[in-house]
Amino acid sequence: MGKEEFLASVRRSLGRGAGPPEAIYPPLEQTAEVLDGQVREMRRHLEERLPQISDRLAQVAEMQGWHVHRAVDPEEAIAAVLSIAGSLGIQNAVRTNQDVFDEIPLDIGASNWGLTITNASQNELFDRPGVRRSIIDADLGITGADYAVAETGSLVIVPRQGLSRLASLVPPVHVAIVRPQDVVETLDHVFLLRRLEYHRNGGEMGSYLNFITGPSRTADIEQTLVVGVHGPREAHMVLLG
Amino acid sequence: MTQHSTIKASLFATCIVDQIYPQVGVSTVRVLRNLGVDVDFPPDQTCCGQPLYNSGFHRGAKELAVRVLDSFQASDYVVVPSGSCAAMMRVFYLDLFHDQPDLLRRVEQMAPRTYEFSQFLVQVLGVTDTGSSFPSKATYHPSCHLLREMGVRGEPLELLSQVSNLELVDLPQAENCCGFGGSFSIKFPHISEGMLDDKISSVETSGANTLVSCDMGCLMHIGGGLSRRGISVQTRHLAQILDPDAG
Amino acid sequence: MADVKTQDFFAASAVSIQDPILRQALIKVGTGFDGARLAAIKDVTPDTWEAWREEARRIKVHTLDHLDYYLDLLERNVTRSGGHVHFAADAAQANDIVASIAKSGKVKIATKGKSMVSEELSLNPVLESMGIEVFETDLGEYIIQLAGETPSHLVAPALHKTKEQVAQLFKDKLGLPWLESIEDMAKAAREVLREKFLIADMGVSGANFLVAETGTLAIITNEGNGRMCTSAPRIHVGITGMEKVIPSLQDLAVFLRLLPRAATGQRISSYVTMVTGPRRETDEDGPEEFHLVIVDNGRSKMLADPELREALYCIRCGACLNICPVYKKVGGHAYGWVYPGPIGAVVSPSLTGLKQSKDLPQASSLCGACREACPVRINIPRMLLHLRNNLAEGDDSQEKASGNAERFIARGFTKLMSSSIMLHLAHRMGRILQSPLLMLPLSPLAKGKTNKDSIGSAHLPLLSRWTRSKDLPSLPPRTFHEIWQNELYRSPKRDS
Repeated sequence: MGKEEFLASVRRSLGRGAGPPEAIYPPLEQTAEVLDGQVREMRRHLEERLPQISDRLAQVAEMQGWHVHRAVDPEEAIAAVLSIAGSLGIQNAVRTNQDVFDEIPLDIGASNWGLTITNASQNELFDRPGVRRSIIDADLGITGADYAVAETGSLVIVPRQGLSRLASLVPPVHVAIVRPQDVVETLDHVFLLRRLEYHRNGGEMGSYLNFITGPSRTADIEQTLVVGVHGPREAHMVLLG
Repeated sequence: MTQHSTIKASLFATCIVDQIYPQVGVSTVRVLRNLGVDVDFPPDQTCCGQPLYNSGFHRGAKELAVRVLDSFQASDYVVVPSGSCAAMMRVFYLDLFHDQPDLLRRVEQMAPRTYEFSQFLVQVLGVTDTGSSFPSKATYHPSCHLLREMGVRGEPLELLSQVSNLELVDLPQAENCCGFGGSFSIKFPHISEGMLDDKISSVETSGANTLVSCDMGCLMHIGGGLSRRGISVQTRHLAQILDPDAG
Repeated sequence: MADVKTQDFFAASAVSIQDPILRQALIKVGTGFDGARLAAIKDVTPDTWEAWREEARRIKVHTLDHLDYYLDLLERNVTRSGGHVHFAADAAQANDIVASIAKSGKVKIATKGKSMVSEELSLNPVLESMGIEVFETDLGEYIIQLAGETPSHLVAPALHKTKEQVAQLFKDKLGLPWLESIEDMAKAAREVLREKFLIADMGVSGANFLVAETGTLAIITNEGNGRMCTSAPRIHVGITGMEKVIPSLQDLAVFLRLLPRAATGQRISSYVTMVTGPRRETDEDGPEEFHLVIVDNGRSKMLADPELREALYCIRCGACLNICPVYKKVGGHAYGWVYPGPIGAVVSPSLTGLKQSKDLPQASSLCGACREACPVRINIPRMLLHLRNNLAEGDDSQEKASGNAERFIARGFTKLMSSSIMLHLAHRMGRILQSPLLMLPLSPLAKGKTNKDSIGSAHLPLLSRWTRSKDLPSLPPRTFHEIWQNELYRSPKRDS
């Protein structure tokens, strides 16, 4: 059925004619400028309260099934990642091409510890279009974070160039490195930031976004919780700062 | 005990009390009079119409509802020893007459003056201690409409906690429906019985020898089940527990 | 459209209520899912929970009241992002649309995330008839796909199965060795389906919410299969009822707070996935094509009925099932169609025909627990009463379905209660008849065995349904009316 016919049927059900609601829904009236102002305020708030919010993030993330490793500097962060791989006997990892890895140069130290880290974006081998060999073969996927949400203990990843959808999903273990500037307090903050992005770009914020909170789970058999179904069975968050 | 000699209230007995459990009506009157309420009983009253309304027969329900509106037109307060009938009058009459403005107006005038029995005692009379005694180990079953449509939760328990010689014990999963639901118990007896099984288990677990409720529909159902199983737990309406001549 | 067996509710429920395995599973639903929900509410405090419920309902009321506007906005923004939006009036149209997408895409293998709407459509057989292999990937859905069954719960489709039954299924259908633990079964499913995810041509998902502002489809999942189905294949098809839209991305927050808690007591699910069109050219991976199929299939009829519209606010959390004493006795299959439990008792008749489904709105004691549990405050009991009214007095000859006997009884009751004199006489007659009957052997009324003041058995229509398991009180010598007239009207405290 064509769109107009479908919408006409809906209007008939509602007993109304075409047209917007009498009062425009407030969020839909907000321009990029307005959102930008709200984001500035949010950033001020986050800056003031960063230590408390980070602590809260660590606490909630643990509750939600992440293994949280706090690191004061890049060296500690690298050590944390290597120690995770080491303790699990992992030798083969894949990572994204995010700029966090410029600050945290994992690749250099890794080979000394028997860990091969492949940059998925620079690896040309495809199993099939859109699915890189390196991701399928890896025992560990290492990513950065676009946001980390204290309210829910969630990581937010926005796939794009250099950031695969599958790197944090396919390997059985996922390690995410979170920097202070990634930390936000609430779900509202995340959506505010995305909406600013969307409206600032004339209606574009990317094709995909995932909130990731702990490992993959199910309770479908006898309502018994089991961890590690189609996604990672272990999720580690290395929290800088 | 507080004297409220200026309060006049009309009793709406309800059809189940009138026809099957008149002693509950008697107790209700005694309790109210003992608290200084001037009680009258409009004689034309019969049924609030809920059984018909619940089965979808609005035409019949409206006929009976109009009779109720007529009976209690002149009442300052209407006191109802039933959560479900009080809910019918306070809540569902508004739906029943939503497209009949004149009758709706009459409902809107009567509804705020209509109270379930325990609600009337606590909220209107401000009484929680009626000075009664009822030696027993008692547990309280909150009937669904009283709890959820009328929002009456704590009042019956407050009243019971002040009764001398009555040990009040918790009813496990008290807020679970007993399975009566009026015609539901006849239309889907297997499901109703299953729900009753669970309620009776809860009653037995509580260790009580007396089950109290504010709805005789529930007590007829649960009591009938207890009786058939030979379980010696007596069932009483709250009014019977608070009755000064009780025990 | 999925087979409709709602007319079998009475018989089906009489069987399922005896099933000992189902009974254990349903008891667990109460302590498990429902217990978790209550703990989650306590955790945020009831005040906060109520504020969220109110906000969520406000959003749904507004959106559904202007559904055409928001669907239009949604379509424009999905299209702007490079996606295709298709509108389907009914199940047949929806299936045709998906089939045509699959045909154009030369699809051989499809992986499916959880979608109740796709169950409504009965989509899988359509694709299979085209030679496409379809794999359900949500573990619960995968299990029932192997078993050839339908879901028995909105959130946990296979909760009626024991782990032994699942192990047997995996052994029989997948040729796997006998698996002892649930962990092993989850691992087995992971291994079997991993390959399918990566070679599938088309991934099918449902939608929990559709954001009009940005043209975004959001799914709330735990296993990771939803992410797989929307990331690995060339084509992603999202199938949704038309009522799932919300105005702004900002609105998603309150629903993310309510749904996981109401469904399983989680603060948030493992994954929340937001899809806005196909992959962009510079993306690393992702489907090249995104199709959103928006389905009516009878929803506009519900929208048009002011009494039924709020059933469209449902966010499919399953909280009403988890608290419903009827659902927890009979289980999901007895309801005979896609949607079980309290919400199913409204939606199934509304979408498939009330007359055929007449038992569903009547199989309720109207306890109201569902309304209390619903995160969007849907007044289900009110809608059940409305459907009962349609059945008893509906104008539409298709809807009116109350039996003659019931209407006769209702008329009789009305007449009786309309006359104090008739009522008094009836009571008198009942008393007169009752006495000797209770004494006679083989009489239609007999005294209770343990309680002589009661009626133990009644070989009379309707009453026998009561007395098969419970005693009935016998009629007292006087009605309250009589007692009042003879004694009580004189108030000892009245000033005279």
